[in-house]
Amino acid sequence: MIQFVNVAKTYPNAHSPSLNGINLSIGRGEFVFVVGPSGAGKSTLMKLLYREELPSTGKVLLDGKDISRLRDSDVPYLRRQLGVIFQDFKLLPERTVFENVAFALECTDVSRREILRRVPASLELVGLRHKTHSRASELSGGEQQRVAVARAIVRNPVLVVADEPTGNLDPENSWAIMKLLTDINKMGATVVVATHAKNIVNDMKKRVVAIERGRVARDEERGTYGYES
Amino acid sequence: MAMNPRAWVTAIRDALRSMTRSSLMSLASIATVAVSLMVLAAVLLLALNLDFMAASVESEVQVKAYLCAVDDTDPTCNQQELTEDQKKIIVEEVLRIPGVKEVRFVSRDEALSQLNEEFGEHKDILEGLDGENPLRDSLDIQALDVQQVAGIAEAVRKIAGVSTVNYGQDYVNTLMAFTKAIRYGGIGLVLMLIVATVLTISNTIRLSVYARRREVGIMKLVGATDWYIRRPFMMEGILLGVFGALVAMGLTGYGYSKVVVYLTQKIPFWPVVRPEQVLMNQTLGLVVLGAVLGAVGSLISLRRFLKV
Ligand SMILES: Nc1ncnc2c1ncn2[C@@H]1O[C@H](COP(=O)(O)OP(=O)(O)OP(=O)(O)O)[C@@H](O)[C@H]1O
Ligand SMILES: [Mg+2]
Repeated sequence: MIQFVNVAKTYPNAHSPSLNGINLSIGRGEFVFVVGPSGAGKSTLMKLLYREELPSTGKVLLDGKDISRLRDSDVPYLRRQLGVIFQDFKLLPERTVFENVAFALECTDVSRREILRRVPASLELVGLRHKTHSRASELSGGEQQRVAVARAIVRNPVLVVADEPTGNLDPENSWAIMKLLTDINKMGATVVVATHAKNIVNDMKKRVVAIERGRVARDEERGTYGYES
Repeated sequence: MAMNPRAWVTAIRDALRSMTRSSLMSLASIATVAVSLMVLAAVLLLALNLDFMAASVESEVQVKAYLCAVDDTDPTCNQQELTEDQKKIIVEEVLRIPGVKEVRFVSRDEALSQLNEEFGEHKDILEGLDGENPLRDSLDIQALDVQQVAGIAEAVRKIAGVSTVNYGQDYVNTLMAFTKAIRYGGIGLVLMLIVATVLTISNTIRLSVYARRREVGIMKLVGATDWYIRRPFMMEGILLGVFGALVAMGLTGYGYSKVVVYLTQKIPFWPVVRPEQVLMNQTLGLVVLGAVLGAVGSLISLRRFLKV
């Protein structure tokens, strides 16, 4: 489903490439952890997936289509097939939980009726139905991230990309979020998670791709974190 | 920019929210729009009135010739009262000019009572004259057609005993020149103000984009199209323009009605364009113009500051 073919990425004004010679293939329905030291290039890899950045050389294929060749005007339609989750949640603090999740649908002209059907279902899945009308800023960190997950999955994405989704959370909430991501994966979505959560990676025994200094250093089925954290 | 009704409502709601959040900037924009459009409206009204005056003068194919009197300093007069015979001769000479249809002698007494009538209830203005009559004997000369008026006036001017000659075209020419000056000066001024307006609106929208950059970032991540993201900002610009236009027309309408009332009171036969004849159309035109200026202003800003 996802293929990186000889991908290198050098940011403008940077003297060395952040990613170099990346060849990586991820199948439909896989769950993959991306690990590695700080500054290794994990976030950069993720940004290539949701086309926040373009590769300097090489191709990033999604279902066989080179997304780096996408016209700017087609990028929104790519992103509608994806769910993205970040360390800092990226919610609108003064809006309600419902509004935050509905936002992802409103942006794309989904009908009101469809929104009223899908948002509660999505909130149910992350266990926040009872917080539907609370303001996002009134929620705990763990709850906020669950709202972000609900928003990411409300459109039934084929691919969920999470960049350190548990970076700001305590172990208990981290586990809850990772559990949600595996649930989503079981429902059919391909999930790619960049993380520093050593214990979780070691316990979950999923595929682990380690990035070091912009290169794939290790790629193991049922792998482990492999670094001291 | 496909728009279902709900998207309109959302865009307008977001725009109003954003305007109240940066209320000072919004007020400044609305004021700038209002000032620009008020100047535009004033120029338009002035031009309309000058046209109107020109038209009412032009409709008269009459030449007015004033005869010499004792106190007339015109060099062609020898500062003597004309005798009845002399007046008769002048009338005959005028009648011999080709193109003259008829001549009517208007004595100064007749002219005064005519003036009395025209002033109507304001004839107290004339009471300051203390029974003196400052007017001259004059001839009302009708031409066969408008084309000949200038020629006739020229010929009448040469007749001995005739002091000054006026005819409609004189006023019309002066008015035309004046109108032209007002138009060009006005257009220049208005263009400058329009540029200022667009810049102010564009600056307001820029701040608005900045205030909502987080939201914009999230919109992009969840797959909103450029137009979806621009929509509320465009709406904000358009609303600023429309509000400005409404303020401008409110003030202009009020001001113009006052001026018209004042003028018609002071100078009863002054030809003015009635407010109700123009204000509706002008309001509509200016509101549309305000909306366009707002849209252009926000587009400029969005192109530069919202790389989506
Ligand atoms: N926008 C940018 N402009 C220039 N250089 C950048 C930019 N973003 C990242 N980099 C550089 O690219 C390299 C990889 O950064 P990246 O954010 O991908 O690392 P990471 O593996 O996500 O690290 P962390 O675990 O700390 O999040 C770093 O050296 C970083 O300084
Ligand atoms: Mg990172």
